[in-house]
Amino acid sequence: MRRFDMYVPENVIELLSYLDDHQSGVRLIANGSDLINRIQRRQIEARVLVDLSGLTEFNYVRNDNGIIRIGALTTIQDLISSPVLGRHYDVFRDVASKFGGPSIVNVATVGGNICAASSSEDLIPVLLVLGARVRVRSKKGERVLGLDDFLIGKRQTAMLPNEILIETMFDELDDQSACAFEKIGMRNSLIIAFLNCSVWLKVGKESKCIEEIKIAMNRISDKIPSRAKKTESELRGHPLTKEQLENAMTSLKSELQLTSDFRVSKEYRQNVAPVLFKRTVIKCSERLGERLIV
Amino acid sequence: MSKHLLKFTVNGRDHALIVESHERLLDVLRDRLGLKGTKEGCSTGDCGICAVIIDGKLVNSCLVLAIQARNKKVTTIEAIGTAQNPHPLQREFIKFNAAQCGFCIPAMILASKNLLDHNPSPTDEEIKDAIRGILCRCTGYQSIVKAVKAAAVEMRK
Amino acid sequence: MRMALKQSKDLGTPQTVLIGKSVERVDSIDKVLGKPIYSMDILPENCLYLKVVRSTHAHALLRKVDVSQARQYPGVVLVISAADIPGINESTALLPDKPLFANEKVRFIGEPIAAVASHDQAIAEEAVDLVKIEYEDLSAVFSPIEALKPDAPRIHKAGNVAKHLKLRKGDVEEGFKQADYIVEGTYKTQFQEPVPLEPETGFVIPEPDGSVTCVGSMQSPFHVQTGIAKILSLRADQVRVIQAVTGGAFGPKSDEMPVDILGMAAIVALKTRRPTALAYTREESMIGHTKRHPFTIKLKAGVKKNGKLTAWEAELVADTGAYASLGPLVVTRALFHATGPYEIPHVKSDSYCVYTNNTMAGSFRGFGGPQSHFAAESHVEEIAKIIGIDPLEFRRINMLKPGSLTATSQVVDEGCGLEECLEKAVEASNWHTKRSEFAKQTGTIRKGIGIAIMYHGNSLGPEGSDYVAAHMNIDKDGTIKFRTALTEYGTGATSGLLQIAAETMNLPMSYFKLEPPDTDYCNDAGPTVASRTTAVGGRAAQMVAGKLHQHLKEIAAGLLGSSVDEIEISNELYYVRNRPQRALSYLEIVQSAYKNGLELKVHDTFTAPKCEYDPETSQGTTYLQYTYGAVTAEVEVDIETGKVQVDKIVAAYDVGKAINPLSVEGQIEGGTIQGLGYGIMEELTHKDGIVLNPNLADYYIPTSKDIPEIKSIIVEYPGQLGPYGAKVIGEPPIVLPAAAIVNAIDHAIGVRLTEIPATPDRVLLTLKKKRN
Repeated sequence: MRRFDMYVPENVIELLSYLDDHQSGVRLIANGSDLINRIQRRQIEARVLVDLSGLTEFNYVRNDNGIIRIGALTTIQDLISSPVLGRHYDVFRDVASKFGGPSIVNVATVGGNICAASSSEDLIPVLLVLGARVRVRSKKGERVLGLDDFLIGKRQTAMLPNEILIETMFDELDDQSACAFEKIGMRNSLIIAFLNCSVWLKVGKESKCIEEIKIAMNRISDKIPSRAKKTESELRGHPLTKEQLENAMTSLKSELQLTSDFRVSKEYRQNVAPVLFKRTVIKCSERLGERLIV
Repeated sequence: MSKHLLKFTVNGRDHALIVESHERLLDVLRDRLGLKGTKEGCSTGDCGICAVIIDGKLVNSCLVLAIQARNKKVTTIEAIGTAQNPHPLQREFIKFNAAQCGFCIPAMILASKNLLDHNPSPTDEEIKDAIRGILCRCTGYQSIVKAVKAAAVEMRK
Repeated sequence: MRMALKQSKDLGTPQTVLIGKSVERVDSIDKVLGKPIYSMDILPENCLYLKVVRSTHAHALLRKVDVSQARQYPGVVLVISAADIPGINESTALLPDKPLFANEKVRFIGEPIAAVASHDQAIAEEAVDLVKIEYEDLSAVFSPIEALKPDAPRIHKAGNVAKHLKLRKGDVEEGFKQADYIVEGTYKTQFQEPVPLEPETGFVIPEPDGSVTCVGSMQSPFHVQTGIAKILSLRADQVRVIQAVTGGAFGPKSDEMPVDILGMAAIVALKTRRPTALAYTREESMIGHTKRHPFTIKLKAGVKKNGKLTAWEAELVADTGAYASLGPLVVTRALFHATGPYEIPHVKSDSYCVYTNNTMAGSFRGFGGPQSHFAAESHVEEIAKIIGIDPLEFRRINMLKPGSLTATSQVVDEGCGLEECLEKAVEASNWHTKRSEFAKQTGTIRKGIGIAIMYHGNSLGPEGSDYVAAHMNIDKDGTIKFRTALTEYGTGATSGLLQIAAETMNLPMSYFKLEPPDTDYCNDAGPTVASRTTAVGGRAAQMVAGKLHQHLKEIAAGLLGSSVDEIEISNELYYVRNRPQRALSYLEIVQSAYKNGLELKVHDTFTAPKCEYDPETSQGTTYLQYTYGAVTAEVEVDIETGKVQVDKIVAAYDVGKAINPLSVEGQIEGGTIQGLGYGIMEELTHKDGIVLNPNLADYYIPTSKDIPEIKSIIVEYPGQLGPYGAKVIGEPPIVLPAAAIVNAIDHAIGVRLTEIPATPDRVLLTLKKKRN
């Protein structure tokens, strides 16, 4: 690996001060699973790295009055091991079980996943449907943005050079909601997704109608994971009949703006995205204990 | 800064060395501490061959910058068994011909040991899960799974 | 008083003690302990490190290679390129078509142009960017079909066809006239990347006397010695080559790669007088070394109503990339096996090894077999469908049996276990039940079961002289050292040689020690390829161990005052027949020999009979014996996503004699999973000469979560060549899984894929096309 310098802050105050003074040529490194990989593949150049791995106070999962807060340096393994997850365990387990081997799950961080801002980052669709927000902090203070506002484009976030991501938050799922994640790739482990899908579903207690639904996939457009808002709006407020589901699948197909890449063709994604969506919805309904599709 | 003082523990021994920013834990283990058992298969974290145990967790050492291992406890294959007294995993790997070219074996043994430390009676599927991040090109994995299963039985005795 | 061994029953074959036993390999202990045994574990102190500068253009003239800036970079010790080669700028496998460093032109993206040496790997890497190269682009060509056109850009002076071979048996036009049906098909296979988990590595030590010691990951030490000597302009005896423990090979490490690596390192070592090491990164390994040839195979078969094949015409076109490597031999093997294991009276086949500006294709386990069998075993299924005969029955009607003539008109001898392999695979897979059960399915997941059968000509056959030298000596303490230039890289075959030697000498295996392959201490054993270690190396082991055994008996006879013929051995005691009271222990004999200055050192070379055949028609004895096999694959296909899950594979092989059944099973299981990868997920993708997935995240080899249950069945019909009738087993297991899986997919969803890998994309889109 080519040489670079590294700054190792003792605490977050030092870190923010440093970032304030060095607003270019600097890259943040959590546990390195994404960054070192990209440096080795010469996708990015590293001149100065800033080591976040010592800031263990950002490894937490908390439930603050119905708001789940996950520290940016929480590893995927620590996330699914947290007793606080409750109803959210299932969807994060969906992600972790297909995330890569133990040696990746043990180090990849939630913050790292978010900031990588690419269609290979499986947590992003899940956080998008959970309506996650992110909190960033600089020497000057904090701000909170919606995750969809935070993700600007491929490998681009709204984070300023003097800011760090400190946590992501979302509202707790209530007992009428469920969330699920599905992924398909070439093999059954170490999978880079051709497609993934996350659905958050809230069903009316009496009505059995879809009160709220959020759908996110890693490849609605080619750039980054995003929501299938048109399909969402078609389903919102309706019962989920077989016909409705099929219409939604057709609608989803029309929302996709894809090209082929060396992994898989555009036609494949267009054909399978609706299937993956259907399976994710079914998983959600199973988690609600409902036979939703009438 | 291009140089740092790294203090950490490897296989129960404390070390203090000056490392460069770009040195990886893998490089420090192999080139500075002479522990050649940890191998390099791809340098991008895709194959799991370089896996070591850090504070009880399996980690790809090619993705860890050396300075990030400060104050941690690292375990490598050299801590497992000896020629005179091999670990049951090592005995069973030999018995089941689970080591062919051998290059993935240190990582496979560490991953298996980590599994058995937490789960003394794993199913075949749990064993496959534990090694799902480590690539093997020679064995087809079947003999490795058998060896781990047999070692689990031995270790429960 | 020790008892003599009970006399074995006269079964016609000798009773053996170690042969056929699953004894532990001798090299496992170091591997499970993580001992420092691979090249990069044993680097000398103060090594220099090399980093290679590679072409970024697919086909271009090299106008300028300016190393001045790189040379001046702080910490750089030396930069070398073609101009610095003391001898001949060549590093090649067969044809003299490939330079060590590109000189006048480059022919693929990734071709080595120069190398930077530093005491610090990071500095060498940084300095690579400072080497300035001026290219003048030439038109490039990336498909062999295009490269065969008359107006295609010329990649080599002699044109784009590195080899064209013909096979002519009978009269194929006559054969088609006799047919009731003629069935045509075209089949395509992909670049499969071998992925040895240890990438290419090596280091060179400059010796005080001007010679060099080369240590590296390799399959063929003497090939490396010849290559390095040429590059350095040294005599062979000035180039010592030692094989370090090698972390997987599968083919790429048998030809140019070790010569490239050690050649570059040797040039620097000699110039700087410092040991010099070179380790390829995974990316360099995947771009730089040889892969499996992609083939386009056109088949035309004539068949009678009753299912008998009358004619078979094949055209095989292989993409060998920028340099031929062993491509000419790969297309030879593919040509000879292009009919599959069937008896067909009239055959006309042509194979072409064609240059393109893709990366190199060359040796990789199977060596043309997988491609030919994918095509043939797919085609017979289509033929069977068209004439309305069950595909299993079709195979039974046409497959090779003792007395059959192969496509090269070689007579199949009694050592043909193909039928038993087929029947055992059918039985163990529960074929008939599953075949009918899976025929009626609804639902998203459809199951299928498919079959494929094969034959595999053993060892080098027509590829070259087939000889192995072996050396043995006994130390004073009784340790019996065995040395050969055949290399171990995971198969366990060299351990098997000790098993054979121990059996021959009637001594425990624990007395034997395998020495590392070292050109200073042994004679040439040819390349460790073609799975020949057991079949040919085993004969050398028998020969040399037999010599040493005789030697010990002679010494015993002398000491006991008898003739050699009267000496018997049992439980390591040597005694005169019928007088077991006065016995000498093995150690006593050794010590006596040492006391009396008698040498306990032998060596010899076993040379296999030459394979003679007509080069114009490929008719004759192409191989000395054949391994046979049958594989069934049970799959699940998700018809909504195209994803194929392989649930179970039954793999039956006629291995002649399993010297070590556990090692044989290890080869079967490992080769099966490589074959599975070939069938459903592996493809090294080139686009305009650029490898798009030169890493293990985007090039998918099977993980532990992808494996089916594998049932291995060993069948034994002794062959003519190998020790105890042993046949090769290293390569055959990779040949059939792809074909069996594709046939199973057809059974599951009624879709014939004519191109592999059967990725979800390909399966789904082919399924959708069929529906529309």
